[in-house]
Amino acid sequence: MIRVEGLRKSFRTRNGVVHAVDGVDFEAADGRITGLLGPNGAGKTTTLRMLYTLMAPDAGRVLVDGLDPATHPARVRASLGVLPDARGIYKRLTARENVAYFGALHGLDTHTIAERTERLCQALDMHEFIDRRAEGFSQGQRTKTAIARSLVHDPRNVVLDEPSNGLDVMTTRGLRDFLLQLRNEGRCVLFSSHIMQEVARLCDHIVVIAHGRVVASGSPDELRAGTGCANLEDAFVKVIGSEEGLYA
Amino acid sequence: MRALWIVLRKELLDAFRDRRMVLVAFLVMPLAVPSILGGTAALGARKHAEQLEGTLRLPVVGAEYAPNLVAWLAQQNIEIVAPPTDADEDVRAQRHDVVLRIDDGFAEDWRGGRPARVEVIFDGSRPIATGATVARVRGLLDGYSETVGTLRLVARGIHPAVAHPLQVGTRNVAAPEARFDLTQQLLPYLLLLLAFIGGMQVAIDATAGERERQSLEPLLATPASREAIISAKILATAVFALLTVTMTLLAYRVSLAVMPGDLLEASFAIGPIALLELFLVILPIVLLGATVLTGLAAFARSYREAQGYLPLLLFLPMVPTLVLMVAPVRTRPWMLAVPFLGQNQLILQVLRSEHIAPTEWFISLGAGVALVVVAWLVAARLYHQEHLAASS
Repeated sequence: MIRVEGLRKSFRTRNGVVHAVDGVDFEAADGRITGLLGPNGAGKTTTLRMLYTLMAPDAGRVLVDGLDPATHPARVRASLGVLPDARGIYKRLTARENVAYFGALHGLDTHTIAERTERLCQALDMHEFIDRRAEGFSQGQRTKTAIARSLVHDPRNVVLDEPSNGLDVMTTRGLRDFLLQLRNEGRCVLFSSHIMQEVARLCDHIVVIAHGRVVASGSPDELRAGTGCANLEDAFVKVIGSEEGLYA
Repeated sequence: MRALWIVLRKELLDAFRDRRMVLVAFLVMPLAVPSILGGTAALGARKHAEQLEGTLRLPVVGAEYAPNLVAWLAQQNIEIVAPPTDADEDVRAQRHDVVLRIDDGFAEDWRGGRPARVEVIFDGSRPIATGATVARVRGLLDGYSETVGTLRLVARGIHPAVAHPLQVGTRNVAAPEARFDLTQQLLPYLLLLLAFIGGMQVAIDATAGERERQSLEPLLATPASREAIISAKILATAVFALLTVTMTLLAYRVSLAVMPGDLLEASFAIGPIALLELFLVILPIVLLGATVLTGLAAFARSYREAQGYLPLLLFLPMVPTLVLMVAPVRTRPWMLAVPFLGQNQLILQVLRSEHIAPTEWFISLGAGVALVVVAWLVAARLYHQEHLAASS
């Protein structure tokens, strides 16, 4: 379970201060898929980065299973499975070695790593390339390897930043089933996306972010009812205020 | 500690699978050093032998004024050649190393028993290239002058010893290994250079490269502490640098064994104990280099920017060697605490088979370790920057 309270983060750039995240609150419960929906540049990636301890918030706080990353960074990182926006894998290692490396860093023994790898291999359909070196992997193969390594330690909370970016239709379908499976196992699944169809289809709870702020949240039905729009797409456009960045 | 070991193992596996990196570090660099040293040594030795023993072509201006002197010179393995029209210009243009000019009043002075004038024309700005030749001509002229002087004294019934109130002898007390040549000047620098930046490929690849390939962010999202991660990357770099140095020393020893005898004599042999001492001396430099390179790779915004700093690092180990070339000084204790300078002095001591006192070890290693700790603290700070992983 992940709670975010009054989160703020700004960056100093050459053109002045940018308030990337300007007061974000939401809760992602266990056994539920929570979608962070917003146009590009809305502050989704920055919010997630503060969640998995890569950045420190200027204000507000994050609680992962009741722990604040600011005070318990190692324990928070251990309880999170993270697929960051950056999903580079080691080209000179095989997919299996990539996964095993992260398993070891999470403190798993070789036996457990082998077992978990086999399970993820099954779930993500990786058998064909699991023992090949990652040099020359397709985008889908890279993303699958990155997902497998982020989940090898069997985390209670799964955070994915734009997981379907660059994936083809078949792989996206596979990924969707996989996320549903994680939810049915009782995990807290939080993912960000700027594709509303994806969010609408998968999420039990949607948090719409624009300009660093939460502009609406609730179940798909609640969102439709709240905006008075019969169609989710219209509802999104209405709460975001413009169509800018939504189709990118 | 466990995370450190895991990251170190992975970095080494990753590095050793990069065939080009391994080839450069363990073949090209180690072979380059003996080639440079052996090449310069062989070239120097040949040039030296030529200048001292080969037939010297010596242009003589006014040879007609001193036919006896010229005939005598011709017997001393010197080939007298026709003089150029402008002797000074000829030497300046490096067409000849030395030109001899005999004064037109030479015959008159000679007959009158007055010192007769000859001039050795040379270019003093090229002492390394022409010094031996100039000295050879001077020596011959001095010899001729003395022979004739002795004969003149004897002709007047005076014992020649009267004109030599002093007898100056010299005795060189340096150990045979300490005979200094160019090879020994270069070896410490090359060793320190390799120790310092021998692992640069690994350092840049493991941090700047990892960031550019976007795998640093997921790595930093694991429970492994950044201190463990950076320490492992530094150690992987150090291992690579040490292996490069080892391969270099081995290649150097092999090249010594196959070199012609007179070159081997001019050089020195490295025994197993000396080898261990060399390792101990350069260990702080290896760690310092690995830490500085890793810190730099974390500081730089890209792989390319990180590589841009390398020329600067190439220059650092050169400084003490340059200082010592300009102002050769005796080793003093404080020098041993200065990075590179201290190691340079100790390497020379090892190569000369000189004993290194415990206090000397203590100063050098102590100062080295202190510096590594400072560099590590800076590098670890750089690794904690938010923009390190979150670059995009």
